[in-house]
Amino acid sequence: MDLNKILPYNKHTVKSFFSFDFTVLNIFMFLLSIGLVTAMFYGIGVYLIHGHHAYGVTRSHAWGLLIAMYVFFVVSSTGLCIMSSLGHVFNIKEFQIIGKRAIAGAIIMILTGFAVIAFEIGHPVRMVIYNVLTPGLTSAIWWMGTLYGLYLFFIILEFFFLNNKIHKYSKIFGLAGLIVGLAAHSNLGAVFGFLVSRPVANGVFYPLYFILSAMVTGSYLLFLMYGWRYKMKFPPEVEKFMITLAQVLGLLLAILMFFEIWRALTHLYGHMPERADIMLHMITSKNFLIGEVLLGMLIPFVIIVYSKGRAIKAMVYASITGMIGIFWMRYDLVHDTQLAPMLKLKIHEYVAAPGLVEYTPTAVEWMISIGAIGVAFMWYYAADKFFDLDHSTDNNGQ
Amino acid sequence: MKTEISRRRFLQGSAALTIVGVSGAASSLIESEEKAKISDYGLNKTQWSDKLQEISTLCEMCVNKCAAIARVENGVLTKLNPNPLFPKSRNMLCARGNAGIQALDDPDRLKYPLIRAGERGEGKFTRVTWDEAYEYIKDKMVKILDEEKDNRSAIGCCAGEGMAEHTYTSFMQGKIGTANFVNHSSICLATTIGGYTLTLGGYGQADLENAEYVIMAGANRAEAIVTPDTMDLFKRTKGRGAKLVVVDPRFTNTASHADTWLPIEVGTDLAFVLALTYVALTDESYNKKFAKENMSDFETYKEHVISNNYTPEWAEDITGIKAEEIRKVSRDFMAHAPRAIYYQGRRTAWSLQDYQLRRAQAIFSAMGGGIDIKGGIIFGKTLPLGEHRTNSPIYDNAEVRIEKGKAALIGGSGSWIAWRNTIIDGTAPYPVRAFFAYKQNPMLSVPNTAKTKQMLEKMDLVVVIDTMPSDTVMMADVVLPESVYLEREDPVKTFGGAEPSIALRKKVVDAKYDTKPVIEIMRGLGEKLSKPLFEISKKYDESLQEELEGLTEEEVLEYYNENGYDLADGYRHSQETINHHMVASVYGEEAWKTLREKGVFYPDMDKYFKKKSVNAYQYYPEHKKSYSMIEGQLINEPYHDTCVDTKEISVLKKEFRTATKKVACVLSNLEKKKGVPSMPVWNDELYTPTPKGKFKFITGRHGQFTQSATANNALLIDLLSENYLWINKRIAKEKDIELGDMVEVESSIGKIQIKAYPTEKIGPNVLFFVHGFGAESSELTLAHQRGVNDNLIIEDQYENTFGSAAMHETIVNLRRV
Amino acid sequence: MARYGMALDYKSCINCKACESACKEENGILLGADSHRIWVGVKEIEGVFPDLSIGSTSFEPSQCQQCDNAPCQEVCPTNATYYDDNGVVRVNPDQCILCTYCMQACPYDARYIDDRTLTVDKCNFCSDTRLMNGETTTACQATCPTKVRIFGDLDDPESEISQVLKAREHHTLKTHLGTKPKLYYLT
Repeated sequence: MDLNKILPYNKHTVKSFFSFDFTVLNIFMFLLSIGLVTAMFYGIGVYLIHGHHAYGVTRSHAWGLLIAMYVFFVVSSTGLCIMSSLGHVFNIKEFQIIGKRAIAGAIIMILTGFAVIAFEIGHPVRMVIYNVLTPGLTSAIWWMGTLYGLYLFFIILEFFFLNNKIHKYSKIFGLAGLIVGLAAHSNLGAVFGFLVSRPVANGVFYPLYFILSAMVTGSYLLFLMYGWRYKMKFPPEVEKFMITLAQVLGLLLAILMFFEIWRALTHLYGHMPERADIMLHMITSKNFLIGEVLLGMLIPFVIIVYSKGRAIKAMVYASITGMIGIFWMRYDLVHDTQLAPMLKLKIHEYVAAPGLVEYTPTAVEWMISIGAIGVAFMWYYAADKFFDLDHSTDNNGQ
Repeated sequence: MKTEISRRRFLQGSAALTIVGVSGAASSLIESEEKAKISDYGLNKTQWSDKLQEISTLCEMCVNKCAAIARVENGVLTKLNPNPLFPKSRNMLCARGNAGIQALDDPDRLKYPLIRAGERGEGKFTRVTWDEAYEYIKDKMVKILDEEKDNRSAIGCCAGEGMAEHTYTSFMQGKIGTANFVNHSSICLATTIGGYTLTLGGYGQADLENAEYVIMAGANRAEAIVTPDTMDLFKRTKGRGAKLVVVDPRFTNTASHADTWLPIEVGTDLAFVLALTYVALTDESYNKKFAKENMSDFETYKEHVISNNYTPEWAEDITGIKAEEIRKVSRDFMAHAPRAIYYQGRRTAWSLQDYQLRRAQAIFSAMGGGIDIKGGIIFGKTLPLGEHRTNSPIYDNAEVRIEKGKAALIGGSGSWIAWRNTIIDGTAPYPVRAFFAYKQNPMLSVPNTAKTKQMLEKMDLVVVIDTMPSDTVMMADVVLPESVYLEREDPVKTFGGAEPSIALRKKVVDAKYDTKPVIEIMRGLGEKLSKPLFEISKKYDESLQEELEGLTEEEVLEYYNENGYDLADGYRHSQETINHHMVASVYGEEAWKTLREKGVFYPDMDKYFKKKSVNAYQYYPEHKKSYSMIEGQLINEPYHDTCVDTKEISVLKKEFRTATKKVACVLSNLEKKKGVPSMPVWNDELYTPTPKGKFKFITGRHGQFTQSATANNALLIDLLSENYLWINKRIAKEKDIELGDMVEVESSIGKIQIKAYPTEKIGPNVLFFVHGFGAESSELTLAHQRGVNDNLIIEDQYENTFGSAAMHETIVNLRRV
Repeated sequence: MARYGMALDYKSCINCKACESACKEENGILLGADSHRIWVGVKEIEGVFPDLSIGSTSFEPSQCQQCDNAPCQEVCPTNATYYDDNGVVRVNPDQCILCTYCMQACPYDARYIDDRTLTVDKCNFCSDTRLMNGETTTACQATCPTKVRIFGDLDDPESEISQVLKAREHHTLKTHLGTKPKLYYLT
C-alpha cells in the first residue's frame, strides 16, 4: 500500500534526510539537539534504575520539574492549536497561512509532553487500562488526560486532512480539536484550581489563565518557528502575518499582566494565611521577577508597544526570552502550589519548625526536562523534512 | 517474609545489564546514602495464616518489663502487642517495646562465642565453641586465683538490670565468691533508694493514679517511661485531676504537661526542698498529727531548718526560683496533702548533695502525711513466691571490696566510679585481675569513658555476656552471646504495688543463633570451673583445709556438694522447672497453668479482671487495692472524726521499717559512725555555681531509646537519628551557632563535637544532650559513630554517702567549630 | 457496615512515638524518613527562657483523617482511592498509577509513596490487618501508653466513641475545608 496516497509526504533516503545546509546556526542546532536528546536518554536510564529517588520530589512536594515541563509542552501545543484556529476556524486572513506548520508543531509538542510525563507517572500502562475500566469522573486529571488524548486524535486528523487538502474535514476537525483542546487545557488548569488543600491555587484563576497563557506561548512559538523557517527574510504575506501576530500578542500580554496583577492583589489583600504569605514569597522571588515578568512578559511587550508591532526580527529574539519566561511560569505554577506545608507541626525532634516547602530539581530531572526540548527539535526537523509545512502561494494560502 | 518485588528492583537487574555505563555514574546522582541504610531494614508483616500463634512474654527493652503478647508465624516474630492482664503495664507497649522485633532480628547481633584475636579493644575476634570459650576462661581464672591465693575478690564483675540479673549475680557473688560486684545502682538510683529507705523504711511507689498534687523534679516521666507512673499521671494532668509542678533546668516533654514549670539552677534542688520545708514549718501548714505520731525527732529537724534560715529568699539566690513561687508550691502541696507527693525520682545521680536531697524530699512528703496512703507514696503489697536457693560456699580468702571506705555506705552493689578509679589509681589494697560484665555497657554508661577503658586494659581477663557487640564487648577477651529476651524463659517475677501481680516471660521463638540464656551460661561456666577452682581453694583456703582434714575422698566429695562448691548446682534445672516450683509451691498448679497460658497471675484474677472500656481494664476493684499496708493503731480521740477529714486518716500510727519505727528525721548513727550529716543540710562547699561564660552539662533520657542498649535498633533510629546539643537560643545567636552547626563541648576530662539544636527550652548556662549515643564499635552498623557519647565529657565525681555518681557537676566550655 | 472514626484525647499524649512504631510493625511500613502513615506533631513552644508558655505547646498525634468528603478520593483518576464498606478511605495498589494527585489534594499530609509497590499509601485504620482478622482496635490505639485513641463505629450510638463525642467537646482539623474528617480531637 502506498502511504503516499493516504498522507502525502516527501520521500527521503537516509542521506537526504540528514542533509542540511552547513551553516553555523544549523550545525549549532544539530549539535544542541543531539546533546539534549542524549541527556534525556541518560536521565531516563537513571530513572529506570532508581525510580523516583532519582528526582528531588518528596512527600510534601510530590510534583516537580517533570510535571512543570509536561505543562510547558501541552500549553505550547494547545497554544499553537488556538493560534492556528484563528486562521481556519475564525477565518482571520493573516493567520490562514500558518495552518500546517502550527498543527504540526501542536502535535509534536503534545507528543513530547506525553513523553515527559511517561517518566513521571509511576505506572503508565496501568493508567491506560484503569482510566478506561474504572474512571474517576470527578478527577480533573482524568478529564485532562482523556480530553488530551481525544485532542491529539483530532489534530492528527486535522493535519491529515490539511495535507490532503480536504478543507471541509480539516475545518471540522480543526474546530473539534480547538474545542476539545480548550476543554482539556482548562481542565489542566482545574487540576490546580480544584485543590481545596491549596488556597494559593484554588479558584477560577488557573483554568482561565491557562488558556490565555497558551495563546501567549503559541505566539512566541510561532515567532520562533517562522523566524527559523525564513531566517528573518520574510515574504510579504508572512511579514503581514507576523505583524498582526505581534499586535495580537501585545494585547494578550497586556491582558496577561492585568490578570497577574489582580491575582497578586486579591491574594495579598486580607493577609489570609497560606495565600498571602505564599503570594508574597512568589512575587518577590527571582523566578517570578526576572523569569516570568522581565523575560516572559516585559521585554516582548515593550518591544511590541514601542515598535507598534513592526519590529518582528526583534520579536523573534524576544520570543526566546519569552519562552524562557514561559518555562518559569510553568515551574512556578507547580512549585508555588506546593509551597505551603500541609502539616505545620514538627514531627521530628531536632529540626526547625516547618517553613515553606523546599524543592530543588535534581540533575536527572533537568536532563529529562530540557532534553525533551531536543526531542521536540528533532521531531520538528523530521516533520519539516517529510511534510510540506509551508503555505501554498495561491490565494487560499493554506 | 519477603517484601514485594517492585518494578524498580526488577529493572535493577535487567536495565543494569543494558545501561552499564549509566549505573556507575548514576549512584553519584542519587542523594543521601544514609537514608538508604535505614530503609534497607525490612519489617515482618503478619500474614494471618492459620499457623499464627500468640505467646505471652515480658518486654526487656527497659526496666519496666511490660507484658506483651507476641505474634509468631512459622517461627517468625511479626508483632508485639500489649498484654492487657498485667496491672503494672496497663495494657500498653511503648516505642521500644514494639521495636523488640528489631532487637531480635538485628543482623549485628552476637551470634556465637568469640575469643579475642588481636589486641584488646581492636575488635578482632575468632569464633569458638562454647566449650572452647569456657576452657579459656577457666585457664585464666585458675592462673589468677592461684597467683592471688584464692582471693575470690580478684575477680571483679558488673551487671546491668535484667530479669535474669540475679541468676548471674548469684553465680558471681555467691558461687565464685567475689565481693567486687558493681551494677547500675551507683550510676542511677542508689541515693534515692537509700535516702527514702533510711527515712521512710522503703522507697515506695508514687500513687499517681490518685495523687492531687505532684512535684516532679528532674524525673522526666513523659520520656523516661516508668510504669504505671507515666500512664497514670499523664491521663490526669492539664486540669484533669492532678496538678503537676515540674522542677527541671530543661523544658522537657513532662514540663509540657505541667501546671507550673520551675527552671532550677542545676544541682540546687536541695535548697529548693529545704525552703519548701521552711515555709511549711513556719506556716504550720504541715500535718501536725502525722508529724507527732509518725516522725521521730521532728522537733529537732524543725529547729534545724528554721535556725539555718532556709528561707525562700535564700533559696531564690541559689536556685533561681522566685521566693513567691516557692511559697506557693509549699502551700499548695500542703493544701492537697495527704494526696500530695514529692516524686522520688529514679535516675538521680545528679549532685554531690543528692543523698541529703532525697532525705529532705522524703521528710517533706511525710510532713504532708502522704505516706502509705492512697494518693501518696505507698508501699503496697507484694505477692510472695517460692524460694529458689543456691548454696554458696564461704571463701575465707575473699577480701572485702576494694572501694570500701571511699564513701560512707558502700553496699553490695558498690560505687562504680570509686571502684573503677581505685583500680586504676593504684590505691586498691589488692589487684582485681578479671572482669566479667553482664548486660551492662560501662564503656558508654559510666562517667569518664577513658578511665573505664584504662581499667579494662589493666585486666588479665575480660569476659562480656551480651546480645549486641557494644563498645564494652569490643574490649573483651571472651564474648559469650546471650539469647535475646524473646528467645528465652527468664525467672518468674513478682511485681508489688497497689495492684500486685506475678508475671512470666516465656520463650517466643527458638534461638536464631548459637546463643544461650544466662542460666545455661552459668551452668556451663560452673561445670567447667567447679573442680579446678575447688582445687585452688583447697590449696590456699585455711578454713577449708581444716574442714577437709582427715576426710576420705567420698567425704570430700560430699562436703563439696553440700557446701555449694559445685558451682553449677542451682543452674542445672531448666528455668521453666524452677519457675514452676516458685509459683506452684505457693499458689498451686492451676495458678501455674494460668500463668503459663496468660503470662500474668494474681489471686482472684478471674474474678477481678474486667474490661472497663475499649482501652482500659480493671485489675482489682477499688476496695481490693493495696494502698495502706503498714499495720497501725487507730488514734482514738473524741474530737477527731476520721470519716470527715482525709488528713486525719493519715494520722493512723504507722510502724515504718526504719530503726525508730517512724519516719526518721535525724539519723544520728550515720553521723556518729560515718560522719554523714544526720539531717539534710545545705553545704556551700559541695555546690559549685556555674562560672560566667561557662555551662553545666546535664544528661538525660529519651522516650525512644533505652540508654545505649537500643543504639543499633533500626526502628528506633528511624524515629530519632542522632542526639543534638540543646543550647539556649540567645547563647547560640551570640556565638553565631545555627541549627545543625557543629560545636565543641569541652570539660576537664575530654571534649566532643556535636550538632547544635538552639532552643528556648534550656537556660543560658546549661547544655544537654541525650545519653546513649556515640558508640565506637564498628560492629554496630547503625550505631557506629552515630551521635555523641556523653561520658566522654562527664567528670567522674561521686557523692560521699553511697558513692553514687554526680553526673551534673561537670562544667564545660563551648565553642563553634 | 460500620462507619469507623477515631477520637483522640490528645491532651494525654506524651510524644513517646509508640503509635508510630506499632503502626510500622503492624502494617509492614518501610523504615525511612518520609515513609510513615501516622505521626505526632509538636507545636513549637512560644516564649523566651525562662518565660515559656506551657499552654502554647502541645502534642498532636495525627494521620489520615478518613474524611467523609475526601478530596483524595475526588481527584483520583482511576478510582484507586475509594471508600470501603466501613467508610474507611482505602487505596487499591493495583489501580494506583502514582500520579500523586491525591498527595496534592490532601490537606493533611496523610499520604506517602510506598517504595515497594510504587503506589501511594496511607493509614487505613488497620483494615487489612487487624480489623480483617477479628481485632477491634487499631495498632496505634492498642499500644498507646496514655490511651489517647478511641476507635470505633460512629454510626453505633452505643459505641464508646459515640458516647465520648456526645459527652465531650471536640474539634477536627481544617474543618473549614469541608472534608468532614473522622478524627475528632477531644478538648
